[in-house]
Amino acid sequence: MTPAPGLLRGRSPGLTLARRSLALILLCLLLLPLADLRIIAVDPWGELWRMAVGFAWPDFMSLESPLRAIALTVSVALWGTFIGAILGFPLALLFHRSRLVRSFCAFVRAIHELFWALLFLQVFGLSAVTALAALAIPYAGIFAKVYAEILELTPRAPGDALPSGVDRLSRFLYAELPLVWERLASYTRYRFECAMRASVLLGFVGLPTLGFYLESAFREGRFGEAGALLWIFYALVATLHWWGHRRLLVPLLVGALFFLGPWPDVDGELLWRFVSHDLWPSPLLEGNLPGLGAWLAGLPELLPAIGNTLLLALMGTVGSLLLALALWPLASRHFGRPWQGFGGRMLLVVMRSTPELMLAFILLLMLGPSMLPAWLALALHNGALIAFLVARHADGLTLGMPNLPASGRYAYELLPRLYPNLLALVCYRAEVIMRETALLGMLGVATQGFYIDSAFQYLMFDQAFFLLLVTAALNIAIDAISRRFRPREVPLDDPCSR
Amino acid sequence: MSLLELDRVDLGHGTQVVLPGLSLTFESGERVALLGQSGAGKSTLLAEIRRRLDSAAAWCPQGHGLVPLLAVYHNVYMGRLERHGALTNLINLLKPRREAWKEIEHLVRELGLEGLLRRPVAQLSGGQRQRVAIARALYQQRNVFLGDEPLASVDPHQARRLLECIQARHATCIIALHQHRLALDHFDRVIGLRDGQVVLDAPTRELTLARLDALYPDAGPPHHEAGVAAST
Repeated sequence: MTPAPGLLRGRSPGLTLARRSLALILLCLLLLPLADLRIIAVDPWGELWRMAVGFAWPDFMSLESPLRAIALTVSVALWGTFIGAILGFPLALLFHRSRLVRSFCAFVRAIHELFWALLFLQVFGLSAVTALAALAIPYAGIFAKVYAEILELTPRAPGDALPSGVDRLSRFLYAELPLVWERLASYTRYRFECAMRASVLLGFVGLPTLGFYLESAFREGRFGEAGALLWIFYALVATLHWWGHRRLLVPLLVGALFFLGPWPDVDGELLWRFVSHDLWPSPLLEGNLPGLGAWLAGLPELLPAIGNTLLLALMGTVGSLLLALALWPLASRHFGRPWQGFGGRMLLVVMRSTPELMLAFILLLMLGPSMLPAWLALALHNGALIAFLVARHADGLTLGMPNLPASGRYAYELLPRLYPNLLALVCYRAEVIMRETALLGMLGVATQGFYIDSAFQYLMFDQAFFLLLVTAALNIAIDAISRRFRPREVPLDDPCSR
Repeated sequence: MSLLELDRVDLGHGTQVVLPGLSLTFESGERVALLGQSGAGKSTLLAEIRRRLDSAAAWCPQGHGLVPLLAVYHNVYMGRLERHGALTNLINLLKPRREAWKEIEHLVRELGLEGLLRRPVAQLSGGQRQRVAIARALYQQRNVFLGDEPLASVDPHQARRLLECIQARHATCIIALHQHRLALDHFDRVIGLRDGQVVLDAPTRELTLARLDALYPDAGPPHHEAGVAAST
């Protein structure tokens, strides 16, 4: 007789993943005391109540020109995604061949859309060029990577069946592209949804999309108006598959051209000066190396900001993991009654559609500028997103023993099959969470975004650019770590894998 | 006239040898049936013959190798993709070439696919896809027809018709199949493979159904029935 193994002992893949996850959670708990989780606001519950009232009784009459804001939001998202895809596709063809292309894509991906917007704002002002470039440039990097991964998985059989001597282009057009077309299209659709959120967020830096009006309404306490804008945004996202149908794509793109604007007068000389001079530390341009030391010493304290960013990203990732574990049964057909499942799905859709910066902004108004609202926002948005995908995965499974009690179905039937996928999704999201964490600094949380935003405000472009580079480097490092940590051999056909 | 000679060659994929020390000769104008259980080495042998004959042979692969999103017309057109420039092929995707359309329409009518030219292959049944794959190989217009189980997913009656269609256009053919009755009735020679060895190589007039069934020791009755069904 062999004795039963001890706690968490054994070599099964499930136990390995459980040990890994628990280690991650333990690390987060150990570091938690270092985080600033105070509630600074005076009356958080009263504030929440007023917001809830505004959301329940939205005041559509108070909106000024909402149609213009809606049209601009959609137009920017549409053209930003389109240009990104046009730029990203050729890069995808070179992706696996050129290290240079890979690094370039990793770099443009690693900087959040809003940071790009801040950068272009300095040259192109509050114009359509700023908005489009802010979306198209990082999306080109994302598309290049994801398209390349999809193309790599092209089935080989049709290409092998071709007669010998077929030229490369014909081979690609007939025996490769059609085989992955659906997947490319569905990823592009998903990215367009992300672009809708990002386009709203561009309002936070002053571009007149929905976010601009949302921010001022929230900031000035006009919650009825804010509620109305939120409802409009949810309605836009919920009806996306009707108005965003592929047959309507061309008319939409053409129509959107009329709403994009204003177009800036670009001063070539100024642009060149910005790129060649303003972005770089002046000692570096003058070849004055000792001066560079002084310049570095003049930077704001970076280490606490980096520490905070890493800590918040870890907390956000672990929070998403725990929330996803708790929330996915809400939207799954295996649990509860059908109407409960419907309600759960709606809840998750609303939570994942709300841009995390928006969520953080609302929570920040409620709780004050500590790390707590940022953490909640990251965990809620990403946890809901992962839970939604996991629930969809679960709905595709058939239970071997459907008569088990709910806890048995959760722990024995479903979780063992879903968990590798869930953990892989969390690892993929870790990079996204990291990008967002840095960004949340713009709201006053003490991460890098705070210093980047203030450097731009004080027109210290060299500092801002340097901080952006540091942020990008950190993000690339986190991506590498999470890639190592994530479970391998998991079939990931989820749209949010990037 | 000898078409192809294999003299004590080791065939396989990568470092794994599937058919060691193989010696076989194929003649022009010969109709050869390849028999044997799955995994016996039929596909490996056919791949090598295809490699050696290159553009002299039309090829109908196992599992069809079709592109589901493209229409039947385009899938068949792919058989001659190498004979046109990239630009012509690109335009053909958007607007079918008139003469190619006519020729392919004629061809698929013979195979019982009339009216399906515009339909994406994804929407066809297994048997219809099989016929599209055969149409593509016929469209190549080569001297030799090489087929890796091109009759696997059609009923016995159709299998006979399709085989006649193939053989009317190709004096020389080397085809892997499982229907024993068809092998005896429509081929000049049968090669039987088992575990990487040639265990049978004889003219069909010297063979009987029972001898062919012996190639499938694990299976027994079902294959025999399939063979009988094919003869009705």
